[in-house]
Amino acid sequence: MKILVIEDEQALLESILDYFKGDGNICEHASDFSAAVEKISLYSYDCILLDLGLPGGEGLDILTRLKELKKNDGVLIISARHSLDDRLAGLDLGADDYLVKPFHLSELKSRVTAIVRRKNFNGENQIQFQEIKADLGAMKVEIRGQVVPLTRKEFELLVYFLSNKNKVVSKNAMAEHLWGDEMDMSDDFDFIYTHVKNLRKKLIEAGAGDYLRSVYGIGYKFTDQ
Amino acid sequence: MKLATNYNRVNIVTSTVVLICTGIVYYLFIHSILTDKLDKDLVVEEDEIQQYVATYHKLPLPASFINQQVAYSVFDPSQPERELRYTSYIDPKDKDEEPGRSLFTTVKVGEVTYRVVITKSRVEAEDLVRVILLITLGVSLLLLTALLLINRFFFNRLWKPFYSILQKMKSFEVTRMTGIREESTSIDEFIELNASVNAMAERVHRDYRELKSFTDNASHEMMTPLAVINSKLDSLLQTEEFTLRQGELLQDIYQATGRLSRLHQSLLLLAKIENNLIPDIQQIDMAVLASSKLRQFQELFEKDDLQITADIDKLEVRMSKYLADILLNNLISNAVRHNIKGGSIEVSLKGTMLTVSNTGNAEKLESNSFDRFAKSSHSEGMGLGLAITRQICNLYHFDLGYAYHDNRHFFSINFSSVS
Repeated sequence: MKILVIEDEQALLESILDYFKGDGNICEHASDFSAAVEKISLYSYDCILLDLGLPGGEGLDILTRLKELKKNDGVLIISARHSLDDRLAGLDLGADDYLVKPFHLSELKSRVTAIVRRKNFNGENQIQFQEIKADLGAMKVEIRGQVVPLTRKEFELLVYFLSNKNKVVSKNAMAEHLWGDEMDMSDDFDFIYTHVKNLRKKLIEAGAGDYLRSVYGIGYKFTDQ
Repeated sequence: MKLATNYNRVNIVTSTVVLICTGIVYYLFIHSILTDKLDKDLVVEEDEIQQYVATYHKLPLPASFINQQVAYSVFDPSQPERELRYTSYIDPKDKDEEPGRSLFTTVKVGEVTYRVVITKSRVEAEDLVRVILLITLGVSLLLLTALLLINRFFFNRLWKPFYSILQKMKSFEVTRMTGIREESTSIDEFIELNASVNAMAERVHRDYRELKSFTDNASHEMMTPLAVINSKLDSLLQTEEFTLRQGELLQDIYQATGRLSRLHQSLLLLAKIENNLIPDIQQIDMAVLASSKLRQFQELFEKDDLQITADIDKLEVRMSKYLADILLNNLISNAVRHNIKGGSIEVSLKGTMLTVSNTGNAEKLESNSFDRFAKSSHSEGMGLGLAITRQICNLYHFDLGYAYHDNRHFFSINFSSVS
């Protein structure tokens, strides 16, 4: 997918570009308002990651520009402003999603993939990974045509892993993705382990390969390499 | 009492008193003028009689002219020599008794002193006074009626801009960025009031915007470095295989940044609640929300083998969806965090009362538990949960209560003040 990252914080920009690199993704970036406007008027992107606090202009104006240009690019707002007004204003202006800083890169990737998938819908909202086929519309997973009975949480977890394949996903990121970051949880994520264990067992029993690796107490990696 | 009513009362009482006084003075004055004129006529008549007597040395005939009678009698020295008096006048034609004015005087014919009584009818004068009085009364009544009508209708119209401005001030909400509209009026005072109110609203809006942009900027400035740390951690995680020790260290850093961002968000939230900056007030179905929260916490309950009992009735509450979410999150996560292995949690929503009770440490919470950063020594939380809970309850005037009995902690919220 083709992605434009509009972010003025250099360190954060590098991390994002680094994380999205590979896997056939093309990433471009803009660090200020005018560069961003230039990019969006010249090219089309599958998804634009837009930081609202931009030097040289108001981030929300980029959305207005996109509308004026009649572009259909997906937009994910990333902002440090945890303000409902901004969130609503952004979504009203045609943004597809809103992510508050600080966020996990895995969460960002999963949201971007979801937006791109929705934009390129074409009748089938599916992810294919080797023999695993996840149907997001029907919330159903099939392995070689056979349905794997997953709970809702296990399904969400699998989709999260598939959006972040070949990446190490931390337990914190998984917990926040599945239960929301406002649920002030205790610091131990044993219950994540249970869900991951069950998911892995069900996939293997249905005939899939063992793709889930535990990474030294920090998190997990879903990979076929 | 309304200003108009108050003013009306004074106005009408004063008008009535002044009109009555004027009427009385007017009556007395005209009466005395007319009496004076009658008296002059009587004196002229007296002079004529005196001259007649002086010329002819005999009394003139006791003639009776229109509205005037003259009578003679022998003078009785016990009576006063000359006086003017109100008497009655008998109309010679129809023998009607009319009010009259008489001049009693004496005249000397030779050696005999006669008493002369000249009487004039006062009917015409009285009629005149009556007509004048009636006209005065009529005009007064007309004036009073006009005053009343003016007060009732004109005043109401005159004060309409004032009440309209008042209404707008009452419904003024700082979170809505609407100004107070100009009220079209030609009254200087109201124009000034309107301008002042508008200026005030503008100032309030400006302060509000400044405060809002300050909290936003503070959040932004602190969240950006945190976001960098977090993203670098995520990137670091991808670089290579770690030893178990390195993994533990990374996990600790993750934990700390997570707590820092939650802490910061909680503080910002507190500030926002205090400044009433959370606008999305709507009708919340508490029963649905509570049930979904319990489902959301399922894994946490299972982890500590907690027994959950829920008894939830229907209840609708008007508040921010966001805050309702946080309220329940805080109550339930508190009940989980301060629980014991294999303990229990009871959630009940009865009437307007939401109660969350849990087993836990066998000691009552200190009264400062609702303060910021107040936490027991064995607590893992940040000590902001209850402070936020109380702040939310304060904002909507809900009753937040705490009790400890039968080895259970009870937190209850009474939503009755709004529903």
